[in-house]
Amino acid sequence: MTIIDRSTEPLTVYRRSWGDEEVFTMEMDRIFGHCWQFLAHDSEIPDPGDYVTRKMGRDRVIVARGEDGEIRVFLNTCRHRGVPLCRADEGNSSHYRCSYHGWTYTNTGDLRGVTYQPDVYGKNFDKSQFSLFEPAQVDSVCGLIFATWDPDAPTLADYLGDAVWYLQAIVGKFDGGMEVAGTPVRNIVRANWKTEGENLSGDGYHTMITHATAVELGLFATPKDLEKLSDVVNPRFTGRTVDCGNGHTVRAQRLPVEVEGRKFWGYPEDMWEQFERNLTPEQADLMSCLSVNHGSIFPNMSFIENFKTNVDGPDLHARYIRITIRYPISATHSEQVWFFLQPRNADPEWCRLSSLAYLRTNGPSGMFELDDTENFVGISEASVGDYARTKPVDYLGGLHHKLTPAEVGWPGRVVDGDRTEHTLRAFHRRWNELMQVDEGATPSVEV
Amino acid sequence: MTPTPVTETFASLEVHREMDLFLAQEAELADARRYWEWAELVEDDFTYKIPVPRTPDSPFAPHYDDRVMFLDESKWSLENQWFKRLDPDIYELSWAENPPVRFRHFVTNIRVRTTSQTDRYDVRSNVMLIGVRQSDMPKYITAERFDIVVRRPEGLRLASRWVVLDESVIDFPQLRILL
Repeated sequence: MTIIDRSTEPLTVYRRSWGDEEVFTMEMDRIFGHCWQFLAHDSEIPDPGDYVTRKMGRDRVIVARGEDGEIRVFLNTCRHRGVPLCRADEGNSSHYRCSYHGWTYTNTGDLRGVTYQPDVYGKNFDKSQFSLFEPAQVDSVCGLIFATWDPDAPTLADYLGDAVWYLQAIVGKFDGGMEVAGTPVRNIVRANWKTEGENLSGDGYHTMITHATAVELGLFATPKDLEKLSDVVNPRFTGRTVDCGNGHTVRAQRLPVEVEGRKFWGYPEDMWEQFERNLTPEQADLMSCLSVNHGSIFPNMSFIENFKTNVDGPDLHARYIRITIRYPISATHSEQVWFFLQPRNADPEWCRLSSLAYLRTNGPSGMFELDDTENFVGISEASVGDYARTKPVDYLGGLHHKLTPAEVGWPGRVVDGDRTEHTLRAFHRRWNELMQVDEGATPSVEV
Repeated sequence: MTPTPVTETFASLEVHREMDLFLAQEAELADARRYWEWAELVEDDFTYKIPVPRTPDSPFAPHYDDRVMFLDESKWSLENQWFKRLDPDIYELSWAENPPVRFRHFVTNIRVRTTSQTDRYDVRSNVMLIGVRQSDMPKYITAERFDIVVRRPEGLRLASRWVVLDESVIDFPQLRILL
């Protein structure tokens, strides 16, 4: 199946990508069957016995911290006849007991008890053959827990590659680390799972249009706001986008100010020395005078650190950090999960301001999200038609942007310019690479 | 935390009828998108909060997590951000409002309890909000509202609203909703 035309440098993807169930079914195998998928943050399961229930693609899984302190992932289904073992979103349990025939597992996945075992199964029944199904690999980086079904997948660190540096700059700068604030929010979005990640991959082009109201509402830094922070304010925001490899990408936009030293506005000043200490100088430069930094980890996880102004009154600015996942449900439907991260032990007043910044702008009920979501839902609606699905989307933006000088010291392919489709080309090239895995084995269909 | 009643004393039938009309009037203004008039029905220190819904692992635990909010608004944020975004002068930039989702509130099971302060009532009601986006079929969302309503010389006023959603996976055309 030809879904992507990569014969020239610009990239073309056919619109069936966002509305075709056949493409979706292939993705479930070729993308979700092979890639590392983000599941949870380790702060959500701090104690032995803690678990949360999440998804990998369309599969329901338990993410659990065993009695031994290790994190494991299990398919949420009894080895016997398939009934789910954990029905809650989160909990703590030393064992999982099936409600159907009572089979009991330890929280490390071993089958411990089979009800009426000699009567039902006779004397020789090897319980060790019936441990809970697990994905091939489970690992975590920066407290972020991932898993993959593919035993041949590279290690998580290799899979993430240069993206780790950017994740560390966001979540790794706090003494005491970060924690997810409470239960993540979940909602159904009538959009293809890819559209959110595409946007967060590095679409700096849409910001001033889709989120034009942000400026009107004082939530996006204006020259007036910036003049109170710095003597030198330039007219234009600057930004960079990064192809980290493997489909992971980042965008960083900087406030158009000139300062001495580094400023981490959006955080209480007494936190700033932590950042200088916990980050490399280049990471600290990235985090200094940040307007927004966001990216996508292929296939379906995105992260953002955002500086918002006048959040709960004039001059009350704050940054917030968010991770989102889009679980695929069908070509036109997905479930979004929203994680709000906060530094442990941060000032409660600042924490509240950060939470308001998040909720009012890019949280699940955020005003900016309303406008983004409408775009994403519309793309799927418009892509299911018989003629529309054969039409192209041409990723031409930013082809002329220059590479950032190496002295800047950011890993990956870094380009000066964030009004671009650089990151979208990186996302879709990786997508195409995985979708064509069995190219020789399936008949190709020209669209 | 979900407010618990200070007393188990229900207000008079007359107050119940007053409250029924007040809540219907409040819903009428919200459904008609007359937000500035709606804002006149709330106190200056009004708070509107919705905790994050979840499925807990016990029948005795609440089906929400109040350590974190889904919506957290004040009269200030409603007027300076939420409603301002819907104002005629910047309406054209509020893409998701062009055209807007049509909302309709159905408010029922209104229970008014007195509190230790006269003229201050604990008002609980069930709400179903219908939302219709463009040509889509209607979607609904249900919840219980925990309001504090005060009596002022000029009439009843909403002092606070705390909403507990029933669904843990929200399936609704828009998530910035006045429940």
